[in-house]
Amino acid sequence: MKEGIAYAIMGLGYGGFYALMAIGIVIAYKGSGVINFAHGAIAMYVAFQFSYLRSEGTFRFPWLDPIPTSFLNLPVTLSLSNGEPINFWIAVLLSLFTALILGAAIHYLVFKPLRNAAPLGKVIGAIGVMTYLLGVGSKHFGSNQPQPDGVLFPDKLLKNFLGLGLGVSAEALALAGVSIIAGAVVWFIYKYSRIGLATRAAAGNEKGAVLLGYSPDRLALFNWLLAAFLAGLVGILTGTVTGALGTGKFTGLIVPALGGALIGSMSSIPLAVLGGLLIGSLQTFVGTYVSGLSWFPAWLYSGARDSIPLVVIVALLFLRGKSLPIRGNIEEKRLPLAPYPKRIGKYVAIFVPLGFLLSAGFPGDFLFAGLNGRWGMALTTSLIAGMFGLSFVLLSGYVGQISLVQISLAGIAAFLTARLMSHYGPSDSNPFAVGGLHLPWPVAMVAGVAVATVVGLILAVPALRIRGVQLTVVTIAASISLYSFYFDNPKLTSLQGGSSYIIQPPTFFGIKFGSTGSQGLTDNPKFALFCLIVLAGLSVILANLRRGSSGRRFLAVRANERAAASAGVNVAKTKFLAFGIASAMAGVAGVAGAFQAGSTSAPMWDYGVGLSALAFCYLGGITSINGAILGGMIAGGGMVATFGNFHSPGLYSYIPIFGGMGMILTAIIHPAGQASIFQPLMRHFGSWLLTARGKEWGVVLRRLAPYLIGGGIWGAIGINPWRTDTYNRTWMIILGILIVLFVRNIVVQVKAAKAANALPDTNSLQEVTA
Amino acid sequence: MSALLETNELTVSYGGLHANSNVNIKAEKGKLTGLIGPNGAGKTTFIDAITGFTNVSSGRAEFNGKDLAGVAPDERAKSGLVRTFQSLELFEDLTVWDNLIVMAEETKWWSFLADIVRPNRVLGIEEQAEWALNLLSLGEHRDKLTLDLSHGQRKLVSVARALAAKPSMLLLDEPAAGLDTVESQQLGKHLREILKQDISIFLIDHDMGLVLSVCDYIYVLDFGKIIAEGTPEEVRNNPEVKRAYLGETAGEMQAEGGAAAARSLSGEG
Amino acid sequence: MSESLLKITNLNAGYGGIAVVRDLSIHVNPGEVVALLGPNGAGKTTTLLTISGLLKPIAGDIQLLGSSTTGDRPEKISRRGLAHVAEDRSLFFDLTVQENLRLGLTGNRETRSKSQENALDMFPALRPLLSRRAGLLSGGEQQMLAMARGLASEPKMLLVDEMSLGLAPIIVERMLPIVRRIADDTGAGVLMVEQHVGLALAVADRGYVLAHGELTMEGSAQQLRDNQSLLEASYLGGEAH
Ligand SMILES: Nc1ncnc2c1ncn2[C@@H]1O[C@H](COP(=O)(O)OP(=O)(O)OP(=O)(O)O)[C@@H](O)[C@H]1O
Ligand SMILES: Nc1ncnc2c1ncn2[C@@H]1O[C@H](COP(=O)(O)OP(=O)(O)O)[C@@H](O)[C@H]1O
Ligand SMILES: [Mg+2]
Ligand SMILES: [Mg+2]
Repeated sequence: MKEGIAYAIMGLGYGGFYALMAIGIVIAYKGSGVINFAHGAIAMYVAFQFSYLRSEGTFRFPWLDPIPTSFLNLPVTLSLSNGEPINFWIAVLLSLFTALILGAAIHYLVFKPLRNAAPLGKVIGAIGVMTYLLGVGSKHFGSNQPQPDGVLFPDKLLKNFLGLGLGVSAEALALAGVSIIAGAVVWFIYKYSRIGLATRAAAGNEKGAVLLGYSPDRLALFNWLLAAFLAGLVGILTGTVTGALGTGKFTGLIVPALGGALIGSMSSIPLAVLGGLLIGSLQTFVGTYVSGLSWFPAWLYSGARDSIPLVVIVALLFLRGKSLPIRGNIEEKRLPLAPYPKRIGKYVAIFVPLGFLLSAGFPGDFLFAGLNGRWGMALTTSLIAGMFGLSFVLLSGYVGQISLVQISLAGIAAFLTARLMSHYGPSDSNPFAVGGLHLPWPVAMVAGVAVATVVGLILAVPALRIRGVQLTVVTIAASISLYSFYFDNPKLTSLQGGSSYIIQPPTFFGIKFGSTGSQGLTDNPKFALFCLIVLAGLSVILANLRRGSSGRRFLAVRANERAAASAGVNVAKTKFLAFGIASAMAGVAGVAGAFQAGSTSAPMWDYGVGLSALAFCYLGGITSINGAILGGMIAGGGMVATFGNFHSPGLYSYIPIFGGMGMILTAIIHPAGQASIFQPLMRHFGSWLLTARGKEWGVVLRRLAPYLIGGGIWGAIGINPWRTDTYNRTWMIILGILIVLFVRNIVVQVKAAKAANALPDTNSLQEVTA
Repeated sequence: MSALLETNELTVSYGGLHANSNVNIKAEKGKLTGLIGPNGAGKTTFIDAITGFTNVSSGRAEFNGKDLAGVAPDERAKSGLVRTFQSLELFEDLTVWDNLIVMAEETKWWSFLADIVRPNRVLGIEEQAEWALNLLSLGEHRDKLTLDLSHGQRKLVSVARALAAKPSMLLLDEPAAGLDTVESQQLGKHLREILKQDISIFLIDHDMGLVLSVCDYIYVLDFGKIIAEGTPEEVRNNPEVKRAYLGETAGEMQAEGGAAAARSLSGEG
Repeated sequence: MSESLLKITNLNAGYGGIAVVRDLSIHVNPGEVVALLGPNGAGKTTTLLTISGLLKPIAGDIQLLGSSTTGDRPEKISRRGLAHVAEDRSLFFDLTVQENLRLGLTGNRETRSKSQENALDMFPALRPLLSRRAGLLSGGEQQMLAMARGLASEPKMLLVDEMSLGLAPIIVERMLPIVRRIADDTGAGVLMVEQHVGLALAVADRGYVLAHGELTMEGSAQQLRDNQSLLEASYLGGEAH
């Protein structure tokens, strides 16, 4: 037991790190109502900045020069001392300065415009910032992973600490101490200064704060600076605690930190510090000490450490929560309206054959000769991402539950289906292959999806009492736990050394519908057709749910749980129904994904994949079915990305950066998603295909002609004539047209808003209070 | 004849605060029962307690002769005990019509399967919703989002929504707050019409013009306790009620104004 | 002209570029209580929101304490000495009653504790509730808190929307003299929206009647009282549409 206590004390190192992060997260939440998923990424950027300043004296701005030219380049890297390390304190100052710049930029560019957005919009904004910073970070610093020097008592080990028999590093204790001091200072500021009180006020009711003469903007700025400063502190102080620096490092550790913040209800600083320390300490205690004890089951070993935050927060929040919100709960801002789907028959009748035509045409590359079926692959990827997006539309768009565990459910269905279908054991060609029951695919798929549904229903239990962004954090924690507990746990999956399950292609009356086409690529049109039909089927199911009594109950629960209960809607049952159906949809998408890949392994179902899927679905439009499908088109590896890849060979490494910026922009400009722009277009397009009249085409073409021609010419010049990188001229024309149309669209939007002649923010204030 | 809704020593405590203590209220079938009392007296708490939105500390509440203890809020609504909220609480992203339909529709566990096959199947509830809509003259706003209506209209939608459920008892929490004098008089007329439809009403409001003119029987709550009950006339002349609630002039003026306006309205009609 | 605390000339105000209030001219002098009356949807709230800068006027001018507020942000207008008790009360539900009040206070430590005491004296019902979360208050208690918070800032110009909304008659009865006293004692101007016409005209010096966004009547309280039938007609007219 003595040993156990020593481990718990060692865990305080991580605990201090979580606690420091948790303080920053709480501040950002108070100031802007944002669950700041980017907090770890800010810390990461500063950690690298500090490390590079200390090792080679270079300072890097958190941006890139997207199109390098022979002159007039954005400054990106400043060399301050000809490659020599610079003074420790100057490095500290410059690093904290970086953090403050990031904080101010995040406030002005992202969360100020998003001030009145729904919580999901802010989540997407935060994910966008995170994606951007990770992208820039890996461009700037990705080449190596420095092992930074410790700052607080490096390498000092307190031997036989407190007579417990084990050595504890002084750094761990110091970090815990720093977190407590920082917590005390911040707590003092919030408790006794007016700015603290006003921050809490403005977070709850902005109109009230404005009417009393407080500027919510300045309050939010102050909070962002403070939060970013703390993130910077984390970056500087905790380099060694987390081992070698990597861009992904801090982001993964944000979940235990969020757990700490949630223990403080996203508002109490002392409780957040305590929560962070507790989680860190418990993790090491359970993960290192308890799991080493002889009675500890081996199959639990893998998930033990990562499940701690989940267990702690679910237990606490569930006990604290109520089955219906009590009076005087601050109502969350609404998501965009969920449109009533119309003309479903027509849609299906037009787009399924169209999709079929496209998919059947691709292997021959009738349009894009020589591209080797890339398009076929992209189309299936998009269709599957679309299916997955439908589960978000149902759960988040219709019922307002932001769940990030869908990716794990998809994975569970895929893993089980693969396992149940498998008949090979290990062989010479694949010593890692895992044997199974050799069930036919429909049976295996139904079983896999059923299990995913059951797991989804179990995960719905916390949702009965935990709401809003808190639920989001719980589901991320669940996703991470499931990953290490199941997907990455050879004891349960029998997958050795990160290998993958092989999955047999589905057959239909003897015809193989597998994704592998004639050239050995995963571009088989039959499989695209298979996905197309499944997607259409799921869409029709979802559309009908939305139009029927279930849809009304979904939206009623999303709008107001108390009122829903008073209207005789059983809120718990409605949530279960939504979670169940959404889990099944995610499961189907997961199995389809496995069929496409021909195999499935843990990394396919990582929570990061789920985050970006959610973000793409939001970009498409999370409250509508079209949005999910469009989200699939723009998803990673989908149609749009494949298309964009022709821009220039080097684009690939820029995708996170542009992706992040895209997410932020969409969250700000089109909370209803891009689909709402395409909606009228698609509608007319559908009718035109049937009754194509030259006249109408003419009108549209004439209106858009200047933009098409202008954009095309601009693209032909190469967007920027002075650029020095290599690129594909043909595709630049299309890119030029797209950029011009996009900018035109923004201008039209802004003009419309101007014409409405209201201060943009008070306009939305009115909406909230009306 | 036993009352439709009856509470027996109903007590609700929040920490040390007794928001309702030993409240005995009977609301008879076919009658309009009123509940008045100063701010913070516990009126809303009473409705919350009998509709299941807050926990009862002790005492009983019976509806239609059945004990309500342990019945979930949505079950109570389905059994005919339907409320409105002081703070509106509409479904802002549904149209007025859909707000009403959510309330009216009966759902089974398999409803979602039926939805997948036939989302627009006839539910047989439109009639009731239509009636509620027309009664409160909201017909023209049928397909608008509740978000786009003015405050007074939203108030009426909340009443219409409750009516759409074809309740046997309708609990109204300050339906006239924010209505102007004319609107509140019209509301009074509607309430009497609703009573004729075999719907009993339990009304909370501070608009004495309305309360005193439409109620059959009134209870007065102060600091969580019933301090008086009786017909409007009795309550109005009760010195205790005057002291705690009506005051000397304001209540009088409202009551007079209400009566006068009611006269003028009926003179017109 | 410089005498008026608030002077609105030919104001057009509304939402999304569509005027809900048209060609409105009103003024409030120091020490005056002015009632803004009219049926629901007449545009009273819209007028007040525009005065405090939460809505941008479509046309016309608003002078507060002698200078135009055009283009000023609402927080700046508020700091000039305008308090607005909004129709939705705009309380901070997560803060306690005490904290809500504190945010309304201005000035140094001493004047602050004094104005808080003053506000609480006017609404003694709030005293036992000081440490309760504002979101838990009953509807009427919230209304009192909103009023108290508005008064705590010792405004030069006070806008009150739907003053008696959800208040017990006895509270309304006590509140009206308070409003009167504030105007008399501090010389502040009060513009109040009130559904109980009789009560409002009992304390007000003057009144304006709005219907369909246009001024239909104005005059001293006495004149309006004498013209009861005309007044009622404007309410009924408001209902007809
Ligand atoms: N959840 C709660 N926790 C603590 N106190 C509460 C809670 N809910 C209500 N109260 C208090 O209980 C008292 C009664 O509230 P209630 O809303 O029932 O009053 P009311 O009679 O409806 O008043 P009004 O006429 O102003 O609406 C109030 O003082 C209120 O602050
Ligand atoms: N946010 C809004 N958007 C559009 N119209 C609104 C909004 N708020 C109010 N209105 C409309 O403006 C008119 C005047 O409303 P309001 O000023 O609230 O009236 P009052 O306060 O006099 O009852 C009404 O017709 C109402 O429907
Ligand atoms: Mg109440
Ligand atoms: Mg109003």
